[in-house]
Amino acid sequence: MLRQPLTRAIALSSPSRVAPLGARRYADAVPAQPEKVEVFIDDKPVYVPPGTTVLQAAAQVGVEIPRFCYHERLAVAGNCRMCLVEVEKSPKPVAACAMPVMKGMRVKTDSDLTKKAREGVMEFLLVNHPLDCPICDQGGECDLQDQSMAFGSDKSRFTDIHFSGKRAVEDKDVGPLIKTIMTRCIHCTRCIRFASEVAGVDDFGTTGRGSDMQVGTYVEKMFLSELSGNIIDLCPVGALTSKPYSFAARPWETRRIDSVDVLDPLGSNIVVTTRTNEVLRILPRTNEEINEEWLSDKSRFACDGLKRQRLVTPMLADSRGNLTPVEWEDAIVAAARAIQDCPPDKLLAVAGDLADAESLVALKDLVNRLGSENVYTERDFPLEGSGTDLRSSYLLNTKIANVEDADFVLLIGTNVRFEAPLLNARIRKAFIHKETDVAVIGPKIDLTYDYLHVGDSASVVKDLATGSSSHEVLKRLDAAKRPIVILGADQLKTQEGSALLAYTQELALRLQDKLQDKNWKVLNVLQRSAGAVAALDLGYRPGVATALAAQPRVVFLLGADGGVVTREQLPKDAFVIYQGHHGDVGASIADVVFAGAAYTEKRATYVNAEGRAQQTLPAVSPPGRARDDWKIIRALSEVVGERLPYNNLDEVRDRLGQISPALVSYGEVQDNNYFAQARALSKSLQKPVSGTLDVQLKQLEDFFMTDPISRASPTMAKCVQAVIKQKSSVY
Amino acid sequence: MSIGKILALDKVATFFNIIRQNGGIRASLYKLYRQDELKDGVLVGEDKYGNKYYENPRFFYGRNRWVEYSDNYNMNYDGSQIPAEWFGWMHYKTDLPPHQDPSRPHYKWMSDFTENLSGTTGQYTPYSTTRPKVEAWVPKPKTSQ
Amino acid sequence: MTTRQAIQVGTKTVKPLLSLNSVEARKRVLNLYKAWYRQVPHIVKDYDIPKSEEQCREKLKELFLKNKDVTDIRVVDMLVIKGQMELKETVKLWKQKGHIMSYFKPTEEPKPKDFLSKFFSGNE
Repeated sequence: MLRQPLTRAIALSSPSRVAPLGARRYADAVPAQPEKVEVFIDDKPVYVPPGTTVLQAAAQVGVEIPRFCYHERLAVAGNCRMCLVEVEKSPKPVAACAMPVMKGMRVKTDSDLTKKAREGVMEFLLVNHPLDCPICDQGGECDLQDQSMAFGSDKSRFTDIHFSGKRAVEDKDVGPLIKTIMTRCIHCTRCIRFASEVAGVDDFGTTGRGSDMQVGTYVEKMFLSELSGNIIDLCPVGALTSKPYSFAARPWETRRIDSVDVLDPLGSNIVVTTRTNEVLRILPRTNEEINEEWLSDKSRFACDGLKRQRLVTPMLADSRGNLTPVEWEDAIVAAARAIQDCPPDKLLAVAGDLADAESLVALKDLVNRLGSENVYTERDFPLEGSGTDLRSSYLLNTKIANVEDADFVLLIGTNVRFEAPLLNARIRKAFIHKETDVAVIGPKIDLTYDYLHVGDSASVVKDLATGSSSHEVLKRLDAAKRPIVILGADQLKTQEGSALLAYTQELALRLQDKLQDKNWKVLNVLQRSAGAVAALDLGYRPGVATALAAQPRVVFLLGADGGVVTREQLPKDAFVIYQGHHGDVGASIADVVFAGAAYTEKRATYVNAEGRAQQTLPAVSPPGRARDDWKIIRALSEVVGERLPYNNLDEVRDRLGQISPALVSYGEVQDNNYFAQARALSKSLQKPVSGTLDVQLKQLEDFFMTDPISRASPTMAKCVQAVIKQKSSVY
Repeated sequence: MSIGKILALDKVATFFNIIRQNGGIRASLYKLYRQDELKDGVLVGEDKYGNKYYENPRFFYGRNRWVEYSDNYNMNYDGSQIPAEWFGWMHYKTDLPPHQDPSRPHYKWMSDFTENLSGTTGQYTPYSTTRPKVEAWVPKPKTSQ
Repeated sequence: MTTRQAIQVGTKTVKPLLSLNSVEARKRVLNLYKAWYRQVPHIVKDYDIPKSEEQCREKLKELFLKNKDVTDIRVVDMLVIKGQMELKETVKLWKQKGHIMSYFKPTEEPKPKDFLSKFFSGNE
């Protein structure tokens, strides 16, 4: 397993890559910064800590040194030679990305020698680089194109017009997401370093030397990672491009809209690229506090699911029970009639995974005005003790960015790698660069790093919480300065869920009380869906099973596609209203279907697993006659006769703010409190537990299709097939 | 000039001749109603759809060949119902009607003539061949209960 | 800005378009109104519009009253000039039936105002 020396860990937390102050309060883990040294970049003085590279020092005074292999989130390779600069009293130009600064060093980034060195390197790179920019997908966003314009020679010495001597390399097949054109590769090794350092899959490497050098997977093999798409962004040339996006568009033809991902609970920041009202691709947007600059494959490639299986028009069941397209007026009137005829206690609303806060609040207000309290989430959560009253019981209290600073991580019944891939990347980063250790209670799974397996029985948690365990982990946890405990929310739907949560709270709070750092939070609960936190914040109650037992007559499913509500559980004459954007489990049991908007089509609030409210922005318009979700509920409320008091988005958000200011303070995350109270309330629930902890997503093939959007995506289906095929291969 | 010509008696004779040839007063009135004209002429031929082709050189060039459409068409006749074989004769491209022209090719693969179907249910309607940007969900039909 | 210019700006009196005072402007407006009023029967006949003389006079009054709150003499004069141009175009039959009918806005549909009708009409 790859472990890096401590010096590199310091280099990795150097000033240029440290997150905004709010997120990285614990970055002072490295003790007492040594004195700064003065260096001169183009005669401009700059003070930097020792160990900083010339390239980073130059970046501080705003001098951009061209580079191909250097990437600030990856280890330094120093093999592209593009960052050569002249240093005074040095006989040769030096590679700025790998050269640490020395006191009084004078760097010339604009001298004749530097320019000549760059032109020479560029010429050598282009000798073997194909001139196929017009058919290359990287065209327009290619580092090689840009830098040969900026730093290359003004004339060519290339005379081989018969194309006899250029290097040509066979293309590799690394799966359905990444297209390789290996002739274009300039051997920067960014993909190799990403795979081994961040993704934790040591499949990539080089073979051969000199002009015979090739980047590949040694044997033809799929890149089995949930973060594989990031190497497309990392590749400075067109050697690795996106297969679903191949030959689709040029960057200058597209519009880019900043948005937020909803396919995992982290709410990664994304850029949605659109052209002619069509989502073409999704790219990550840098947010140090959440996703850094990475994005999981599901969030990146499931966007073609937004074009399949869509609900484009409201539908109403005809006399034979077949859903037929109707006008909005007919659908809403039919639903309103059913709601009006229904006694309030027989009305049930169920919110699904992808519901946004605006529609959640509208639906809850409508149901409450009708005299019912039956608003439920599909996902389960124990209601005993403090239940969902205290925010600390269902959030990632440590916050995603701070996970890097933990020195011991205990995962209880969660496969972070597939439930929240970028959180796993953070844990892995801490594991590699900061000597963090990880222990797991639950099934044995591949987390891409070594961990201590403590067992898969729930009683282990009880033993740890009560301090009666003889396992080594207990000692390690007690000794840790910044431990964190992450509990998978999936474990809480069983009968023993409340006891498990109580024990986890007990364990985490016992550890937290002993800590020197009083601001460090230990307890974390990892939700499974993007809509879960907002629903719990708004007062949706978990546990739809009890409500179903009461035989509801009208069921309103707000994007509930988890299969929790089925026709068999409902009375024969029950009327099911489904509102959502995909024809999936929910729509197929409905009597009325309202066509809503997906997350790329509306301005909507989502709260991520750490309690951070973020908003998506409309990149394209909803297809056909689909509408914004909260507007549908608002229109329905008027027809029912219980008009909701908001007419535009600002008024809905005012209402959200009334319920919880955290829901409208976009981009910010608040510290959670009342841990002790939650612990006290949960004391009585510490009953003996005997079950085993299991996770839903165990293998990579389970990861790709988990929600209506990714289930409708052909790319994700191809991924599942490819992974299964790869698993049966001998390699 | 004969006395008959001066008194236009030949015109009267032609008139009665036309009526006779067209099958009496009743039939003539029907033809006049259907075709807006009444002519006498030599029946040159008939195609397989029942259209009858006439010629009378007494009329000036351009009006001396005409077609009486089959009664099957009733009032819905139009020029596109003249099959390709008769087109040439009708338009003076040839003076030989199809059944008297030995040089006309007859191959097995020649398809049957169709009239212009515009305005009928059989008409061609252009359609887009591009894929829709968004594919809608089609609910599964329930089995009849 | 020089001092001279500043004084010029401060003490500048606007150049009148036609009228020197509001009494005169009012007279022009009334004259225009009368001229239109007398033309109404001819408009109905010449343009063969499906409106009666009463309806036309009502519309005429409505259009004049639309600007009843205009007090700036220059603006009033400009509106009178435009009204005269319109009148001339109408009298000389430079207009067509549609131009006259467009005063009545026959095809204009009222825009939905409340949330529900906006939602159903697809504007919301």
